[in-house]
Amino acid sequence: MVSAAVRLSPIFAVPLGEARLVPCERLNRELEALFLARETDEHRNPMPSHIPQEEVFESRFNLFRWPEPCVQELRKFMLDTVAETVLQASTVSAQDFTNLKFHNHTWFHVTRHAGSFVSHNHPMASWSAVYCVRVGEVPPDQPGSGLLRLFDPRPGANAYLDPGNAQLHASFRLSPLEVRLEEGQVIVFPSYVFHEVTPFYGRDTRITVATNCWFA
Amino acid sequence: MSTPAPHVVPLFATPFGVVSLPEAQTLNPALAALFAERATAQWRDPLAPQGALTFRSRADLTDWPEEPVRQAISGMLAGVGSVAASINELGTEQFAALRVQARAWFTIVRSDGCVPPASYPNTSWLALYCVTAPAPAKARFDSGVLRMHESRPGPMFQDATHSGIRVPYRPGHYAWRPVPGQMAVFPAAITHEIAMVRAAGALVIVTARIRFVASDHQAWMPPW
Repeated sequence: MVSAAVRLSPIFAVPLGEARLVPCERLNRELEALFLARETDEHRNPMPSHIPQEEVFESRFNLFRWPEPCVQELRKFMLDTVAETVLQASTVSAQDFTNLKFHNHTWFHVTRHAGSFVSHNHPMASWSAVYCVRVGEVPPDQPGSGLLRLFDPRPGANAYLDPGNAQLHASFRLSPLEVRLEEGQVIVFPSYVFHEVTPFYGRDTRITVATNCWFA
Repeated sequence: MSTPAPHVVPLFATPFGVVSLPEAQTLNPALAALFAERATAQWRDPLAPQGALTFRSRADLTDWPEEPVRQAISGMLAGVGSVAASINELGTEQFAALRVQARAWFTIVRSDGCVPPASYPNTSWLALYCVTAPAPAKARFDSGVLRMHESRPGPMFQDATHSGIRVPYRPGHYAWRPVPGQMAVFPAAITHEIAMVRAAGALVIVTARIRFVASDHQAWMPPW
């Protein structure tokens, strides 16, 4: 067999940004206390896009307009991470980027035992991000509890599998990506990617902040 | 000036069939009893995702000799064949000449359990037969439903008409509530799941992966 030099490229790649806030313990405890204190009808999302569950509290989408210092500290970290992801993933120059109006809808979720969030994506936005305030308990007999699962946006691409495509490298694989978020970690991904939160079986709470961003 | 009524067709439609199995009222209690007896480590699929609240058997139900299982599998394969034939241009004789390949397993989903999203490669149809179902949960409309995920390229841009679009054009997932004695049939490439059961009792289902082989010109099929 003649071996030819092959250059392999991920032609339909999905960008995934990831960053960690270090240290994060103080900020997360302040955020947790604030969010738990505001799990009230006043702060509940009045127009949820999905049928709400009693085990999941979803706030209004105005979180980053709250003046509390802990919220503003998180706002800077999350939006800076989104901005850096956009700059790395696109050909927009830093100068042009600063001239764009950066919009966001941002909210928090508090999830309790048996809460989940059905697979969805976010139309009319370009980038989405999720930050982990509190992981929550992962029971040993429920290792899939509270995962963030990102679905492969190429439906049907895995409908035919043989040994030639069943064990592709990570950047080419034809399967969902399951992320066990850690406290202080944020991930950024295109808003077209369907994603879900698997059922959370911890006896405590899982707390996250999510944002959808668009630019004009 | 009046506008003539447009002719609109579902251009990229997904087939979804519902078939009632004959004699389900006598079949289902026998199946439920047998499955309850065999929901043990010996019969568990070691490779399938498992949780403490969900049991999935090995995919060998087509080999079980027990009459209720043979009857259910036979009815399921016939039902899938009728769904496939109903949307196919092959003639009756041509369709009857096809060889059916199938793998099937049972799943018991208890309260607070679910079946995570999955699709099946090298398979044309998926059949999901309901043996028993818990009562609907008052607080959770989607308790125990079969949820098929949207598979069309997503309409990331939306305008004011979006929220009023009707099935089968409406973007989004589709849910079907399992009914004992009924079987859902849909393409196996569609990602689907069983949403968390939020009521007392267990959802018991038989799932089958099915494909048809034309022995004269398609002798080879990939392993599954």
